[in-house]
Amino acid sequence: MSNIEKPVYLEEKLEEIQASGHLEYRSKSLPTWCPGCGYFSIVEGLTAALNNLSIDPDETVVVSGIGCASRFPFFIDTYGFHSLHGRALPVATGIKVANDDLSVIVVGGDGDAFAIGGAHIPHAARRNVDITYILFDNGIYGLTKGQTSPTSVLGFQTTTSPFENHDMPLNPLMMLLSYGASWVGQAYAGHPHHMAGMIEEALAFKGFSYLHVLSPCVTFDKTSKTYQNLGMSVRPLPDDHDRSDVMAAMAQAQKTDAPALGCYFEQPRPTLADGLNDIAARAAK
Amino acid sequence: MRATGQLQNLQGNHACAMGAIAAGCRFFAGYPITPSSEIAEKMSLELPKVDGIFIQMEDEIASMGAILGASMGGSKAMTATSGPGFSLKQENLGYAAGAEIPCVVVNVMRGGPSTGLPTRPAQGDIMQARWGTHGDHGVIVLAPCSVKEIYQEMIRAFWLTETLRVPVVVIYDEVIGHLVETVELPSPQSIEQAERKWASGPSAEFLPYQKTKDMVPAMARPGDGYRAHTTGLTTSESGFPTQDPGQVEAMVTRRLGKLEHHAADIASYEEIDCKDAKIILVTVGISARAAARAQQQARDKGLKVGLFRPITLWPFPVVAFRAASKKATHIIVPEMNAGQLILEIERLMSAKQTAVGINRIDGEVIDPVAILEKIEEISRA
Ligand SMILES: Cc1ncc(C[n+]2csc(CCOP(=O)(O)OP(=O)(O)O)c2C)c(N)n1
Ligand code: SF4
Repeated sequence: MSNIEKPVYLEEKLEEIQASGHLEYRSKSLPTWCPGCGYFSIVEGLTAALNNLSIDPDETVVVSGIGCASRFPFFIDTYGFHSLHGRALPVATGIKVANDDLSVIVVGGDGDAFAIGGAHIPHAARRNVDITYILFDNGIYGLTKGQTSPTSVLGFQTTTSPFENHDMPLNPLMMLLSYGASWVGQAYAGHPHHMAGMIEEALAFKGFSYLHVLSPCVTFDKTSKTYQNLGMSVRPLPDDHDRSDVMAAMAQAQKTDAPALGCYFEQPRPTLADGLNDIAARAAK
Repeated sequence: MRATGQLQNLQGNHACAMGAIAAGCRFFAGYPITPSSEIAEKMSLELPKVDGIFIQMEDEIASMGAILGASMGGSKAMTATSGPGFSLKQENLGYAAGAEIPCVVVNVMRGGPSTGLPTRPAQGDIMQARWGTHGDHGVIVLAPCSVKEIYQEMIRAFWLTETLRVPVVVIYDEVIGHLVETVELPSPQSIEQAERKWASGPSAEFLPYQKTKDMVPAMARPGDGYRAHTTGLTTSESGFPTQDPGQVEAMVTRRLGKLEHHAADIASYEEIDCKDAKIILVTVGISARAAARAQQQARDKGLKVGLFRPITLWPFPVVAFRAASKKATHIIVPEMNAGQLILEIERLMSAKQTAVGINRIDGEVIDPVAILEKIEEISRA
């Protein structure tokens, strides 16, 4: 957490990753994102986390929906499933149920998750399927060139809100906490070291873990969730934050003007696989 | 329609939005998807200026649901999308067909299936537009091939959906959607506004799905005192659910018969040099633009070639097609898919005729040269 305030540059990070051999997770296909897009650092963060946990790329599936964020699986050398817009979670659930030994990681954007895919999130969370969901929140639709998203702030002007956005943005952390997600955290693309640590924690957790990553879209958002604005407003969670206390987590999640980074909530409970095993055992009797 | 005398450069998707507004559309619900997003973007800018409502919904299912609700509430309503979104709308589109709720759905076609070639053109939804939803149902599909025609067909789409209570789908490919052409639009005041047949008379006698002479029942709207129920279940004329075989059959038959009854009003097509033609080209959208060029070049070479272009794609203008193709031995169907429209042509042609497809499935348009070559090849044989 101490390194939150320290700026880190991608080149610096790359050298470090290269030196430590993380690059074996990097795909031969180079990211096609716009230069400066926050998503680059998420690739670095995830490769670092996979490496630190010695997760076998042959036993890993990265699942996504559709969007700039959802291009992610192409850029990492594991198994990948680039599914339909909004439908990554049901696919990931199926993969995990079919083979519980796999590490299943879901990635995607805010539109993919909270607009078209919104109906699937509560169910993946309440079932506690043992996957990690890394959500890239830029508050805009990047791939379709800059329309309003469910996390766009009030007053934001886009190609579909020329008279400014009047729809209250969703609060994804509050949603996930109330859906019963058993691990909930937040990171910022501008703090890749911290983010890599958060991804590592989320991956190590057994159960449904949700990591919200604030990530600027440098091409279509010049005013709202920019590096400058986010860099000035993010802060670490208080040192005395109790991650087993859902009410404390919700109180922090309400502070959207100064998004806190760190693990908000953690509460292990039986996973979907545990439930299915129990059903099988009862059926066998 | 009176012309304004003013020329302007207009993109197909913008013409779609403007034609809809000119036709009285005052409600748009949508979800961004390439290559249709410009329709939503234009609507978000223009509808608020005319007291209309634009709403970006959370997905295509919600967009389709919202336009059904708005239409029920009395608005002329539409949505626009592309292939994947069109698939998501299909369940609600079936509802619209069953409950007879006027609405217009635009599908700007891109390469599929799935995310396919999201920025490349295709004509792969010709059959989805007709048969995408479940059950026996009628739907009207219009297929414009120019910027001006998109504008005109949007007006006709609202006319047909409002007066017949049949969902109307407007489909065109990405090329037509993003094409910029110089057009002269009619003055909005000169466009006749379709008026839905609303419930009237004593409310106790009102039957929401009454079989009338024109097969189009009058519609109640919340607030008018008729207190009708709308349901996706099959109903009797009273609007209440029934499983009585006689009543069910009568209802389904009326809904399908409605399209046949009004077939002459619904049919629309363009016919060029078909009278003496030995070869007829049948096609839509950007492929029709290429075909028109090839047809002209063939005539210049003295070959008897005609073009039959369905503007109303579904129900296919059967009578006109059969009349136009009387002398033809060959019917060439250029389309940017693996062969969809040709299935309908094969169904309709006589035993003496041969259908020949020209297909492109690589995200590229069909070249007039390819069509001309096929014409010459057939003519030589
Ligand atoms: C059914 C369907 N509807 C619409 C689209 C078009 N579409 C692709 S990505 C996207 C939204 C992208 O926004 P987000 O999920 O926030 O990801 P970002 O591009 O910002 O990373 C949309 C609307 C689609 N592919 N499929
Ligand atoms: S459009 Fe925005 S989100 Fe997409 S790659 Fe470019 S910067 Fe990133």
